[in-house]
Amino acid sequence: MLGDRTISAAGRGTLFAWRELGGMTILAGQVLRALLPPRMDAPELLRNMYRMGNRSLPIIALTAFFVGGIMVIQAGVLVKQLNAAGLVGWGAGYAIFREVGPMLIALMFSGRVGSNNTAELATMTVTEQLDGLRALAIDPIPYLVVPRVVAMTVCLLCLTVLGNLIALYGGAFFAMVLLDLEFSTLYYSLVDNIHWLDFVHGAVKAAVFGASIAMTSCYFGISVRGGAVGVGKAVNAAVVAAAISIVMLDFLLTAVLP
Amino acid sequence: MLIEFRDIHKAFGSKKILRGLSMGVGKKEVFFIIGTSGVGKSVTIKHLIGLLRIDEGEIHFDGKRIDNLSEKHFYPIRKRIGMVFQHATLFDSMSLRENVALPLRKHQGMRPNQALGKADELLERVHMQDFIHSAPAALSDGMRKRAAIARTLAMEPQIVLFDEPTTGLDPVNARRIDRLIRELSDELGVTSIVVSHDLTSIFSIADRISFIYQGKAYKSGTRQEFECCDDAIVRQFISGDSHGPLETPGF
Ligand SMILES: Nc1ncnc2c1ncn2[C@@H]1O[C@H](COP(=O)(O)OP(=O)(O)OP(=O)(O)O)[C@@H](O)[C@H]1O
Ligand SMILES: [Mg+2]
Repeated sequence: MLGDRTISAAGRGTLFAWRELGGMTILAGQVLRALLPPRMDAPELLRNMYRMGNRSLPIIALTAFFVGGIMVIQAGVLVKQLNAAGLVGWGAGYAIFREVGPMLIALMFSGRVGSNNTAELATMTVTEQLDGLRALAIDPIPYLVVPRVVAMTVCLLCLTVLGNLIALYGGAFFAMVLLDLEFSTLYYSLVDNIHWLDFVHGAVKAAVFGASIAMTSCYFGISVRGGAVGVGKAVNAAVVAAAISIVMLDFLLTAVLP
Repeated sequence: MLIEFRDIHKAFGSKKILRGLSMGVGKKEVFFIIGTSGVGKSVTIKHLIGLLRIDEGEIHFDGKRIDNLSEKHFYPIRKRIGMVFQHATLFDSMSLRENVALPLRKHQGMRPNQALGKADELLERVHMQDFIHSAPAALSDGMRKRAAIARTLAMEPQIVLFDEPTTGLDPVNARRIDRLIRELSDELGVTSIVVSHDLTSIFSIADRISFIYQGKAYKSGTRQEFECCDDAIVRQFISGDSHGPLETPGF
């Protein structure tokens, strides 16, 4: 019967999710242990920071610029109806800092950096490079996983801060061009009304998202099974898991953070 | 005996690979493990450094039981027992010299530049000096294997596990690797365990040989004992006759 099958599929899915969550928790524990006190490979950390952070900058900047524009266009209707030009700067800044910036940039980062990371680690695993490391008496957790977790967390935090600023500029640019607003109106609307907590709120989110993208992408990478097919499945699972965890963590953090 | 396998059993799911394998390797020996493809030679040597765990039996190394050690306690052993994998397992993200420098940097406390210099010397030993800046992906299997040997030797291990070191190499480079293995034993006192199908290597450098068949060490002995062995199964393996009593998995 369809009902039975649906229920058993749902049960299997739940068991699968719990097992993966358990595995990720164990990995997170190992990563934390390796971080207290920090033991990790400095060249690996720098290499990862460079390719994860630097190389992501152009696409993040481009999307952030237009996201700022979108916010302003959406607000434009309201501005005309209510004659609320004085609120545009603040409205865009509030939404960008607290929600749109961290979330969108995290999703972009997961798609570009997280999936790449899973593919790389998974390929290393199926080609026995991880066993090769262990055979050289090098623990893969501090050598491979910890630098990636640190790099992703730091990079996403920096990219989000930068991306937010670019989004604000994008917003200002389109507001001036499309809505005929003065730069000073936008500027004072933002700085007079925005609270520093709005900024911290988004920054905390960015760091948490970075860590969660790192954990999911590393976990699915090193727990892969079954050759090239397995690598494809691992990347898929990692991207889906990262997106789900970003949205759920966002909900949680929005509820608890000031 | 430096290394002893006692009545080892290992299965993957329902597939029983090792079924009571026992053998011992002495200090400074060049010990060959031979057997048909898929019989469990690679699996056997991976147990020695804890990459796989046995189901039953005991493994002793240097007078101590090691099969029940935790992953953490295997790390000191891995510094003493190096392994060259069947498929080189070099790190794609690094050039050859960086690959070889990695264990030097990690374990010998060398500074990056010093480690790279030493790595170049080791690569020269396996005649790879012209490719020190190449990425592993840009090289052939045989070249990668030689670089992997250099990387393992960088650990200065007391025991080296070679998984098919000469497979995929031309005869000239294969004999060079044979000579390297022999020299490691004669000059530096390194013990080598070599998994191989290469009859030329086997009959030119082996001190002792173990033939694995149906999950057990079917016959162990010196090179001379194998040369004049009259067991039909051993003879068939050595002569490579496709007809005979030898059963291979999958046929
Ligand atoms: N991680 C693993 N999971 C499941 N089965 C495995 C695993 N590793 C090895 N096997 C199985 O164990 C058997 C022995 O494998 P092993 O690699 O030791 O063969 P081998 O003797 O080294 O063969 P070859 O000469 O072809 O390298 C094979 O049937 C293989 O499928
Ligand atoms: Mg093998």
